Amino acid sequence: MLNDITIGQFFPGNSVIHRMDSRFKIVLEILIVVILFVAQNFWGLGISCAFILMIYAASGISFRLMLKSLKPVLPIIIFTAVLNLLFVKGTDAPLVSFWVINIYEKGIITSAFMLLRIVVLRIAMSLLTYTTSPIVLTDAIESLMKPLKKVKFPVHELAMMMTIALRFIPTLIEETNKIMMAQKARGASLDTGGLIKRARAMVPILIPLFISAFKRANELATAMECRCYRGGEGRTKLRVLKATRLDLYGTGLTLCVLGIVIINNIVFG
Amino acid sequence: MNIIEIKNLQFEYKEYDDAGEVTSTNPVLKGLDLTVPEGQFLAVLGHNGCGKSTLAKHLNGILTATGGTVTVNGMDASDENKLFDIRQTVGMVFQNPDNQLVATVVEEDVAFALENLGVPTEEIRKRVNGALRIVDMYEYREHSPHQLSGGQKQRVAIAGVLAMKPKCIVLDEPTAMLDPKGRAEVMETVKMLNEQGVTIVLITHYMDEACQADRVVVMDDGVIIMDDTPKKIFARVDELKAVSLDVPQVTELMYRLRKHGVGVPADVITEQECADELLKLPHLAKAGITKNAQTRAGSGGSYAAEVKHLTYKYSVGTPFEATAVDDVSVSIEKGQFVGVIGHTGSGKSTLIQHLNGLLKPTSGEILINGRNIWDKDTDIRAVRFMAGLVFQYSEYQLFEDTVYKDIAFGPKNMGLSEAETDARVREAAAAMGLDDELLERSPFDLSGGQKRRAALAGVIAMKPEILILDEPAAGLDPKGRDTVLDEISEYHRNSGTTILLVSHSMEDIVKYAEKILVMNRGRLFCYEDTDTVFSRTRELKQIGLGIPQISRLSHLLKAGGMDIGDDIYTIDRAEERILEILKTNA
Repeated sequence: MLNDITIGQFFPGNSVIHRMDSRFKIVLEILIVVILFVAQNFWGLGISCAFILMIYAASGISFRLMLKSLKPVLPIIIFTAVLNLLFVKGTDAPLVSFWVINIYEKGIITSAFMLLRIVVLRIAMSLLTYTTSPIVLTDAIESLMKPLKKVKFPVHELAMMMTIALRFIPTLIEETNKIMMAQKARGASLDTGGLIKRARAMVPILIPLFISAFKRANELATAMECRCYRGGEGRTKLRVLKATRLDLYGTGLTLCVLGIVIINNIVFG
Repeated sequence: MNIIEIKNLQFEYKEYDDAGEVTSTNPVLKGLDLTVPEGQFLAVLGHNGCGKSTLAKHLNGILTATGGTVTVNGMDASDENKLFDIRQTVGMVFQNPDNQLVATVVEEDVAFALENLGVPTEEIRKRVNGALRIVDMYEYREHSPHQLSGGQKQRVAIAGVLAMKPKCIVLDEPTAMLDPKGRAEVMETVKMLNEQGVTIVLITHYMDEACQADRVVVMDDGVIIMDDTPKKIFARVDELKAVSLDVPQVTELMYRLRKHGVGVPADVITEQECADELLKLPHLAKAGITKNAQTRAGSGGSYAAEVKHLTYKYSVGTPFEATAVDDVSVSIEKGQFVGVIGHTGSGKSTLIQHLNGLLKPTSGEILINGRNIWDKDTDIRAVRFMAGLVFQYSEYQLFEDTVYKDIAFGPKNMGLSEAETDARVREAAAAMGLDDELLERSPFDLSGGQKRRAALAGVIAMKPEILILDEPAAGLDPKGRDTVLDEISEYHRNSGTTILLVSHSMEDIVKYAEKILVMNRGRLFCYEDTDTVFSRTRELKQIGLGIPQISRLSHLLKAGGMDIGDDIYTIDRAEERILEILKTNA
């Protein structure tokens, strides 16, 4: 029943985007955010939008999924747009004016601009999780953070924790459901009453869940020891991240777009 | 050559106070000696708490002995410098399939040990693929562990150990949490590995698994008390029972027949051997046994629960839509003890979760005591008090700081008075065999079997009219299993409560149930009294249900010309019939 939960929303595939090195994908993702915020006019934003849509098309991820990724951030998008619409004041006369509300032409433009920027930003971010499996993403983060090891930052431990968390999320969701059912069968009412009553009703769920989680942690630690786990020192990997020519092309292309947007800013700024 | 040599092994758990002073010591292993030659298949038996798991953890340096020596393949297990060599030589597989898989992808998990050991990438790939092929999980290499069945998860865990190329694998109750299919998969894998030369140490509560070993050792109170071949061990029925263990059904039968002076050997563990021995007796021509099948009458058309055309679908409207229960209609008579059986995914769990309103039917009706539970004016919580449901591994629901408070949780939710709650708590605890002094203890200090019974008492204290129990004996040792089931059966007799006992174990069900409900692929296969169900054993086998060893024996006897009836499913009845035949023909 819980098998349909897609953690991190990964959709396997074999497109050029799927095949790119995940480390490059993360860095280029950051670069795309930079492009979106560097773009100061509609031309610049238009170019960056076109670029992201192009990547999207190349990934083979369906259009429907792109829209789906916007759903959770919809309130933020609307809130920002409305805020800009209402509170950005232009120098010319307001277009619409009633009661305390004044809407200026500049407000509409800024609002549209922000709207587009956030939407595209979200789409670009979802593209990363759609095309990269969580475990590869963890590998990439570990690899990118490697320099921090020099300042004694526990990079490997952090990555290991992420992996174990990802591994146990479905297990713990299932367990929570089971415990909730068991307590409901004993007459616990979980969804009625005021805030305090509801919070107290969580106790019979949380205590068994914690106890079981600690037990699992303990057993997992033993099982890991049995398989010779001794931290990150001297570890090798089944899957090694490898940069290919594809990643160079991708980087080149993204840098080009950044360049165009910057030039556009200077010329039309 | 000996792969494992243990001399006078002692181990004690120490408890410390906040200042780091030892407050109490709890000796678990008390001078244990054991030698395991390379290539042997050794089974270790013993009741819970006898020190089996502690012993296992000494075999690869997870625990260090407080006295005596453990030598693994010539290496001293307490030698820190050889720790990783030892762990590569002796691999471990544990009971809970979920708690030993580390990675989110099967092949990554199998690679885990090799990554830790710093094996080069190409070599890891080769060994991972090899190990996955051996356990027949190669095609699942890119799956997530949570998409696999219990048996598949255990096979992945075995592959993860195999990738290290160990000489010996220690398995600590690897099948305790699996269904019959998963158990069979794991046992098949284990036996195949042994044939390829891997030494196997299998800790188990299942006597049929121990029967497949080359050698069995029995542990009690931290030492080994018996050490022999399975046949010779199981022949010592009295001694095994004294340490809370069980014997195969046919061995028990032979033991009882011998007590009656019948000249059969004691060391019989398979139904084939048993049939051969019985047929050797100066038996007469086909015995004219009339089946004394007594059908118990229902209590006058009054039903505790009625299910009418129940259909339940998961995830309706998504690509994952699936029908778990498909048009099931069944009426359970009041006061009946019903066994519910079916393989994993047959819909039996979904069915029982409808009986107390935890799931809402996609279509169809559920009536408890004649009332539709999804009527607008029915309070669903009141339904839950009428139909008490105890889940599998129910000890996980315990949360209060005393057993008393935990049992009182249900009655309190019902809004009962203090006095009534108190009376019910004590009554329920007594019904489940929990002493008064246990009530003030923390539930987490109890033994496994006691915890299970405390959780059952928590539901019994609500005095439900129907008590539904999902695998109440799962994962317990033979003694714990018998205690729980006997208490339930006694409670049924004393209170007249309707009981639904869901189990994978046909042996357990037939011992207690008057009627059996069989589910198959979301549909009701049959709901009949036990004798009638057993007249259809061939069909039961076809839908993948195991039948008790004693029934298989009766079929073999019939084929050999000694018909003791088609309704043999308990040792009592087999014994009775055989003695009867011998008497008439004497």
